[in-house]
Amino acid sequence: MITIELFGVPRMRAERDSVVVEADSLGEAFRALGVACPALDPTVVQEGRLRSHYLVAVNGRQLTADPATPLREGDVVVLLSAEAGG
Amino acid sequence: MNGGWFGRYLRVDASLGSGQIVTIEAAALRAVIGGAGLGAWLLLRETPAGFDPLGPDAALIFAFGPLGGTPLTTSAKLAVVAKSPLTGRIGDALTSSDFALAGKRTGFDAIVVRGRAAVPSVVLVDGERVTIAPCEDLWGGGRPIGEVEATLRERHPGFEFAVIGAAGERLVRYAGVVNGGRHAGRGGLGAVLGAKRIKAVGVRGTQRVAIADPPRAVALAKDLARRSLGAATEKYRELGTVANLATFNRLAALPTRNFQASTFEGAREVSGEELKLTRERGRGSCANCTIGCEHFYEVTPGAPAVKAEYESVFALGPLCGIADPAVVLAAARACDELGLDTISTGGTIAFAMECAERGLFPRGPLADETEGLRFGDGARLLALIDAIAHRRGALGDLLAEGSRSAAARLGPLAQEIAPHVKGLEIPGYDPRALQTMALGFAVGTRGADHNRSGAYEADFSGKVDRLAAGPEAAAYAIASEDRAAVMDSLILCKFLRGALTDFFGECAELLAAVTGDAIGADELRATAGRIVLLKKLFNVREGWTPAEDTLPARLFDTPLPSGAAKGTVLSRARLGAMIEAYNLGRGWRADGSVPREAVIAAGLDGLVDISGLGRGWAEQKERILQGGEETGRSEGERR
Repeated sequence: MITIELFGVPRMRAERDSVVVEADSLGEAFRALGVACPALDPTVVQEGRLRSHYLVAVNGRQLTADPATPLREGDVVVLLSAEAGG
Repeated sequence: MNGGWFGRYLRVDASLGSGQIVTIEAAALRAVIGGAGLGAWLLLRETPAGFDPLGPDAALIFAFGPLGGTPLTTSAKLAVVAKSPLTGRIGDALTSSDFALAGKRTGFDAIVVRGRAAVPSVVLVDGERVTIAPCEDLWGGGRPIGEVEATLRERHPGFEFAVIGAAGERLVRYAGVVNGGRHAGRGGLGAVLGAKRIKAVGVRGTQRVAIADPPRAVALAKDLARRSLGAATEKYRELGTVANLATFNRLAALPTRNFQASTFEGAREVSGEELKLTRERGRGSCANCTIGCEHFYEVTPGAPAVKAEYESVFALGPLCGIADPAVVLAAARACDELGLDTISTGGTIAFAMECAERGLFPRGPLADETEGLRFGDGARLLALIDAIAHRRGALGDLLAEGSRSAAARLGPLAQEIAPHVKGLEIPGYDPRALQTMALGFAVGTRGADHNRSGAYEADFSGKVDRLAAGPEAAAYAIASEDRAAVMDSLILCKFLRGALTDFFGECAELLAAVTGDAIGADELRATAGRIVLLKKLFNVREGWTPAEDTLPARLFDTPLPSGAAKGTVLSRARLGAMIEAYNLGRGWRADGSVPREAVIAAGLDGLVDISGLGRGWAEQKERILQGGEETGRSEGERR
């Protein structure tokens, strides 16, 4: 199982902090997220891809939006805004 | 010049109470654009080398942009530029308000304030007329800035004001300049005005900003306004910048307890998501802005809500170990009312908290006043903010100097943990977990700065390894600085940058529609590099050395202790390699010194005096552009 943690606007729209899905890649995880949280489709995820201005950090480390990124059982996908201005 | 610029600036002498109109050649404006670029150039021209930033020779410059006063969204901005009394290097702060619009309507591209008034005064610029009006009743009473602004508006109808608070009066080295609730916050520009005994600058004018191609400008403005409401800005619109806090904590990039950690156990309580659900009471925007990133939060029931940004919440919250949102928001409001930069205030107090816990204060008043001071003590945070703004007690007076100066008094260990670069306290992007930003902080001309360098964009792009960046990060840091230089000079809000798909091409188009100057994308990119170099040259003239392009010792070679980046190390050697790559990428020498050829290649040899470059610029020769015209006398002088 993969845990997708939601931050910022996605969290407010989905009205939840996290979603647990089954996925072997980020693309599969994005598709499953859209199904679990229809409020995020198509503004955050669309057809297995992240919309621009969003990124994920697999296990909180390196940032990517590549749907081909493989996932392993137990991975945590942190979904966040790519706009980090403060 | 067919629009945008007026081709002249106003030099106000606060000592004499006079104003002088000085022409700016079109070529110079084209070379530096306006705003931060124009301010940096004027600062070099209007000041002698090695001047005291709090002395009468110091110049404080309000520089407007060519896009100001047009229908373009977010263009109601100005740059406030001076030598920072906190860093001794260039200090330029951007702010948005009706003051920017009214200032532009005076018919000048910049207003330069020099000298020192005989008594506490207000400078009034009414078109070309300059008046220095005594205001001793508004000085020293500790009245909140909002009240002072309201009083000034009653006394001088039609004027918009930039005001200093108690902190500026008392020359706190990180006092800001406040206008309409917005702050030119960083670097102590409020102290520069305070040293001139100027409580406020008021502006009023009737000049219309000409637009070279009105139909094109209107069409571009409509398109930009539409895009300003797209996905690139939704974070700022829906949650505000404080949305960063929970995210940064999850990425272990949230500086905590004076950079002892990069995660905070109380982050959820002060997160943007939590504040929105429990305390948000309204939203707002700067003048002429369609984005509306301001979010107002309830501090205590029944009290006026306070506007809070990520940087304020981070610095007065996690950095000081404080998780109580009521305390953090009250601290932000206190800083606003006293005219203090929240980042430097939080950074300096967090530093003092750690020094107290480590027993670094010497016996005597400082040890007595720090007895029991610990991270997480909200009551002491609030008391210290007030003490700093009024320089009350030995501790308030010491901390009013900033963390670098305070550390110099407290010894080597304190100097290792003082959270600054070039004297400017570090914003809320932990450089160990965002390592392209580490480079941006180290080489920043203003010091540790997240506005002149948005190098964190590379860390957040996935294009570099944010936990182990190398020389490949330099190109991203340079590109980020260049984009910031353009936006700060046009001037437009950086929150628009994500809405621009062809940054230099689109910015050039905006500039051409307003000014009629057919500056292409490539020339604008070169202009960006020229503006960055201008700031660097000011620093070189004022004594910059390669050794100051670094980070505090504590940030090197010690693994991050917790969170997603646990174990991450930023080594001196790796940062050094990044700095070298940055300097070479800029066309400078590997150590960051600037060869004459680079100045000439940037087209600056005719704009600034480089006769001493390479010999340390021992003395800047004063250059006179053109003769001026007296435009006013002070009330005091007439008496």
